[in-house]
Amino acid sequence: MSQLSEVFNIGLLQNTLRTATPVILAAMGGLLTEQAGIMNIGMDGMILVGAFVAVAFSFACSSAAMGVLMAVLAGILIGIFFAVFVVKLRSDEFIIGMALNTFAAGLTVYLLRSIFGVKGTFSDAGIVSLPTVHVDFLDHIPVLGPLLNDNSIFVYITWILVFLTWLFLYRTPYGFWLRASGEHPESLETAGISAHKMKFIASILCGVFCGFAGAHLSLGYLTMFSEGMSNSRGFIAFACVIFGMANPPKVFLAALLFGFLQALGLRLQNVGVPADITSTIPYLATVLMLVYIVVSTDKKKKNKAKKQLEKI
Amino acid sequence: MITKIKETLLEKKSYLISLFLSVFAALLIGAVLMIVTGYNPIEGYAAMLKGAFGSSRVFGNTMAKMLTLCLTGLAMAVGSQAGMFNVGGEGQLFLGGLAATMTAVYLQGVSPFIAVPLAFISAAVAGGIYAWIPAVLKVKLNVSEVITTIMLNSVAIYLCTYLTNSSGPLRTHDRGVMAGTDAVPKDFMFEQVIARSNLSTAIVYSAVIAFLCWYVMKKTSVGLEMKITGENERFAFFSGLSKDKIMIGAMVASGVICGLVGMFEVFGYQQRFLPSISNEFYFDGMLVAMIMNYSPLGIILMSFFFAVIDIGANAMELSIGISGELSEIIFSIIIFLMAAEGGISKAIQERQTRRKVRARLREEARQ
Amino acid sequence: MQDSIVRFENVSMQFPGVLANDRVSFDIKKGEVFALVGENGAGKSTLMNILYGIHEPTDGAVYINGRRIEKFNPKEAISMGVGMVHQHFMLVPSFTVAQNIVMSKEPRKLGVLYDLKGANRETERLVKEYGLEVEPEAKVGEISVGLQQRVEILKTLYRGADILILDEPTAVLTPQETEELFTVIRKIVKEKQMTVIIITHKLYEVMSISDRVAVMRRGKLVGVEETKNVNERILASMMVGREVLFDHIERTGEPGEVMIKADDIYVADNRGLLAVNGVSLEVKAGEVLGIAAIEGNGQSELVEALTGMRPLQRGSFYICGTKADGMNPGQIRKLGSAHIPEDRVATGVSLQSTITDNLIIGKEKLPAFSKYKLHLKQSSIARYARELAEKFDLRGGGINTRAGDLSGGNMQKVVVAREFSFDTPVLIIAQPTRGVDIGAIEFIHRQITDKRNQGCAVLLVSADLDEIFRLSDRIITMFEGKVTGEFKSGEIDKMEISYYMTGHRGEEGESRDN
Repeated sequence: MSQLSEVFNIGLLQNTLRTATPVILAAMGGLLTEQAGIMNIGMDGMILVGAFVAVAFSFACSSAAMGVLMAVLAGILIGIFFAVFVVKLRSDEFIIGMALNTFAAGLTVYLLRSIFGVKGTFSDAGIVSLPTVHVDFLDHIPVLGPLLNDNSIFVYITWILVFLTWLFLYRTPYGFWLRASGEHPESLETAGISAHKMKFIASILCGVFCGFAGAHLSLGYLTMFSEGMSNSRGFIAFACVIFGMANPPKVFLAALLFGFLQALGLRLQNVGVPADITSTIPYLATVLMLVYIVVSTDKKKKNKAKKQLEKI
Repeated sequence: MITKIKETLLEKKSYLISLFLSVFAALLIGAVLMIVTGYNPIEGYAAMLKGAFGSSRVFGNTMAKMLTLCLTGLAMAVGSQAGMFNVGGEGQLFLGGLAATMTAVYLQGVSPFIAVPLAFISAAVAGGIYAWIPAVLKVKLNVSEVITTIMLNSVAIYLCTYLTNSSGPLRTHDRGVMAGTDAVPKDFMFEQVIARSNLSTAIVYSAVIAFLCWYVMKKTSVGLEMKITGENERFAFFSGLSKDKIMIGAMVASGVICGLVGMFEVFGYQQRFLPSISNEFYFDGMLVAMIMNYSPLGIILMSFFFAVIDIGANAMELSIGISGELSEIIFSIIIFLMAAEGGISKAIQERQTRRKVRARLREEARQ
Repeated sequence: MQDSIVRFENVSMQFPGVLANDRVSFDIKKGEVFALVGENGAGKSTLMNILYGIHEPTDGAVYINGRRIEKFNPKEAISMGVGMVHQHFMLVPSFTVAQNIVMSKEPRKLGVLYDLKGANRETERLVKEYGLEVEPEAKVGEISVGLQQRVEILKTLYRGADILILDEPTAVLTPQETEELFTVIRKIVKEKQMTVIIITHKLYEVMSISDRVAVMRRGKLVGVEETKNVNERILASMMVGREVLFDHIERTGEPGEVMIKADDIYVADNRGLLAVNGVSLEVKAGEVLGIAAIEGNGQSELVEALTGMRPLQRGSFYICGTKADGMNPGQIRKLGSAHIPEDRVATGVSLQSTITDNLIIGKEKLPAFSKYKLHLKQSSIARYARELAEKFDLRGGGINTRAGDLSGGNMQKVVVAREFSFDTPVLIIAQPTRGVDIGAIEFIHRQITDKRNQGCAVLLVSADLDEIFRLSDRIITMFEGKVTGEFKSGEIDKMEISYYMTGHRGEEGESRDN
C-alpha cells in the first residue's frame, strides 16, 4: 500500500506536466505540418538543434531569453531548410526527415566537442535556466496548488500555445488555408492562394515549435545539453499527432497521456523497477496507441455498413 | 537497340556525376566546417585517410565496418523494395546479437558445427520476429511501420540494456567485466582474416548474403513482385500478387539480415554482447541505401566509401581531436545535395523543353 | 456587334509527350454562352485552364477585356473576373459549404479572425440573389454531387466572376439537374450580363444552351460557328474529322452458359456506406453485358467487388461456376477472370516500372518466363513484351520505357494487352476508353468484341453511353446501387435509357424506391 502511494501521488502529476511539455510543443508543430499534408519525421532533429542552440546562447549570453530566442531562430531556419527540400524540390519526406535527424545529431555533437570541448554532456553553472513561476495565491489550494505552481515558465506558455494553435487553425482564414493546403491543395490554388506557401509556413512554424521544445528540454526540463537528448521525443510527438488526428486539443491530451506514462515509469523506479524497463513504457504505449486508433476508426466504418444492412 | 543502351548509360551517367559532385561538395563543406571550428581540414582529411588505410589492422577495421554498413543498407533496401520502410533495424540488430550470443553461451562445449549454425538461426529468428511484428501491424491494420519500428528500436535497446547491464539477469560473472554477457566460447568465434583487426570470416557470410540480396531483388520473380508491390500496392493486389505475404516477407528478411549483423558484431570481434554493441549502425546503413536509391549494387559499393569516412573520422577524433561525428554530417549533406540536385535538374529540364517547343512552333508557323 | 471579352492568340501548350494545344486562336464575346466541344483529349480543358491561369501557355497570348495576361496564375485570373468550375471539383471536403464558398476572401473580425457566421450570411445572400439553394453549414464531403456543383458556381459568383467557365458540368448530373443548371446559366447571362463558356462533348447540350460553338480536335481549333447555323451532325463530323469512325463491329456466335453470376450483393464504399444495394446479374459466355449508370451510383463498387478488390457485405457471386465471394483478386483470377480497372493510374499499372514489367506481372511464375518459378528468363520476357507491344500497337517508346511516360491511350493499351493476354473466359471491364484518344478507342473496342466473339463473357461498365450501345448485347441500368432496368441491345435508345439511369423504373418496376 505504501508502495502504491509512492507511485501514485501528486509528484506523479507534476512529473506528467514536466515530461509532457516538450512533447506537446513538438506535437503542436507536427500537427501543423500534418494538416498541411507533410509527413514530418524530422522533428527529432529539429528539437535537438533547438536544445543545443538554447544551451549555447544561454551560456554565451548568460541569458535564458537569448537562448530561447536563438533556438526559435534556429527553428525557423531549419523549418525553411526542410520546406525547401520537401515542398519546393519535392524530395522524399521520409529521406529528408531521416537525413535531418542524422544531420542534427552529428552537428550538435560535433559543435559540442569543438566549441565546448566536451563529449557526451555539457552542463555548466554558466547556463542560465528558464525561470519557474510561483503564484502565492495558489499555495492555499490543495492538490492543484502544488501541481500548478513552481513549474518552468514554458509549461504555462505551452498551454497558451495549444490554445493559439487551435485558434489559428480553426478561427483564422490562414488556418483554413493551411488545412486546405493539406487536404485538397488544388482547391486552394484555384482560389488564388499558393498551397506551397502555406506548406512553407507550416514547416517554419513547426521549426519554431520544435525550437521551443528543444529550449524547454535543455533550459527548463534540465539545465544541460547531452548527446541525443531529444531521445525520440520527435517521433513520439509524431505518434501523438496521429493519435490525436492532428487536432490541437486531442493531440494535447495524447501528449499528456504520454507524459503520464513516462512519469509513471520514473515513479516506478522509486519502488525498485529497473530504469531500463520503465523506460520502455512510453514507446510500447505509443505503439499500442497507434494500433488502437487505427483499429477503432476501421471498426466505425464497418459498423456503418452493418447498421445500414440491418435497416433493410 | 544501341541507342537504348546509350540512353540507359546516359541516365546512369548523369546520376553518377551528380553523386560524385555531391560527395565532393559534402567533403568540401566538411572542410569549411573544420576551418570554421578552428581545425586544418587538410590535416583532418589526412588523419582520416590514415585512420582508414594506415595499416593492415585499420584497413581490416574499415573492411569490417563496410560489411556492417553494406548489410544494414541492404536490409533497408530489401524492405523498401516492397514498400516497407524498416527503420527498426537497430533494435533487430540488438536482439539478434543477444540471441546468438546467449545461444553460444548455453551451448558451450558442444561442437561448433552444431552450435554456430544454431547461433545463426537464433539471430535470424530474433531479428525476423522483431520485424514481423510491425510488418503485421502495417499489413493487417495499416499502422505506419515507420513509427512503430522507431518505437520498437527504443524498446529493444532498453530491454537488452536491462538484461545485460551491471545488474541484469544475463550479465556475465567474469571478474573485471562491468557489463555484457558471458563471452562466446573461443571455438565458436569467427576466425580473423587480418590479425588484430575486426575483420573476420564474417566477410564470407556477408558476401553470400549480399549476393543473395542482389540476386533476389534484381533477377527473380520474387524481386519483381516486391518491386511492383513497393511501387503500387493497389496494382499489385489487383494483379493477384499475394501482397501481404510479399510485404511481410520483405520486412522479415530485412529483420533477419539485421539480426545476423548483430551476431557478426559479436562473433566477429566483440566476443560478448554489450549494451553498446551498435552505435546507430543501422541508421548509417539506411543513409547508404537512401543515397544509392536502394540499389543493391550501389549500396555494396557505397558502403566502402562510408566505411572509410566513418572509421577515418573516429581515428581523426583520437589523433587530432576533431569530433568523429563529422562523418554523420558529411553523410547527411550528401543526401541533401543529391535531393537538391535532383530537384534543380528537373526544373532546368522543364525550362529547356519549353524553350525548344516554343522555337519549333514559331519555326513551323513561319513556313 | 458585341465586344470581344476573351481572345486567344496562337496559344500552344506542350505537356511531356503531348502537344495539348496547337496554335489556337479565337474570340469570345461578352454576354454569350460559348460552347467548346471536342473528343476526349482534344485540348478543351487545357485551353480553359490556361485562361484560368493554372497553366502558362508554352507560346501565344491570351487577352481578357483587351488586356494581355502577363502572369498566369488563378489569383490574376480571378482578379480579371474569370471563374471556373472544374470537372473534378475544387472543394475541401471537410469544410462547410459556406467555408468553401468564401475561401480566399473570408469575412473577418478584428482583422485576423475568421467570421464564421459572416460566411454563412454571405452564402445566404448569394443563395437569395441567384436562387441556387444550398445549406451553408453542411459539410461539402457529405452533400450530393449536384449540390457540390452548385457550391462551385456560387464560389465563382462570390468572387465576382463575370466570365464563368464550366468544364463538363453535366457529366455527373441527372437530366433534371442539367435542366436546372441550364436555367441558371440562362438567368445569369440575361440578368447579370455574364459570359459563360461551357466545355462539353454532348452535342444536344450545345444545341440547347449555346450561342456560338468552337470545335477542337487533337489540340487544334477546327472552327467557330454560330450555333443556329449548325446541327449535331455537322458538329460531329467537325469533331472527329473526315475519317469515318466507329464502323459497325460484327458480332457473331450465340451466348453459352452463365460465367458471371451475382446473387443479391451488397457492397460498402470507402466511407462505409452501402453503395451497392442488392444487385443480381448474370453474364453468359459469348455475351457482353453493359452496365449504364451515372457516375457514383454503385457501379464502381460493384466491379471492385466482383474482382475481389472490395469485400461484400452480403450476398454472393460466382465466376465460372465457382463461388468467389471472400476470395482475393489473385484467387478470382485463377478461376478464369481478367480485369480492366476504371482508374488505370491508381490500379492498372505501376508508373515507375517499365512497359515490360507491367506486361509480365501476373505471368512471372509461368515456366516460359522463369526457371523453378524463380529465376527470371529475361530474354524470353523481352521477346514476349515486344510481341505484345506490336500486337497491341503500343507507341510512344520501347518496351523499357516507364509506363508513367506514356500517354493515356498507350497506358490503357498496356493494361488491355496484359489483361487480354491471360486468355481468360471471363472479362470484367470498367471504363476501358476513358481519357483515351480516338484511334485507341476504336482499337480497344475491336479487341473487346473479338474476345466476345471468341466466347468470352464480358461485363462492361462505362460512363460513355455510345460505348455501351456499341459493344453490349444486353444492358442493365443502375441507380443508387440498384438495378433499375434490363434491355436487349437495340430495344432502347439513349434518351429512354437515361430515364432509367436516373431512378425511374419501367412498368415492371416496383414502387420501392422513393
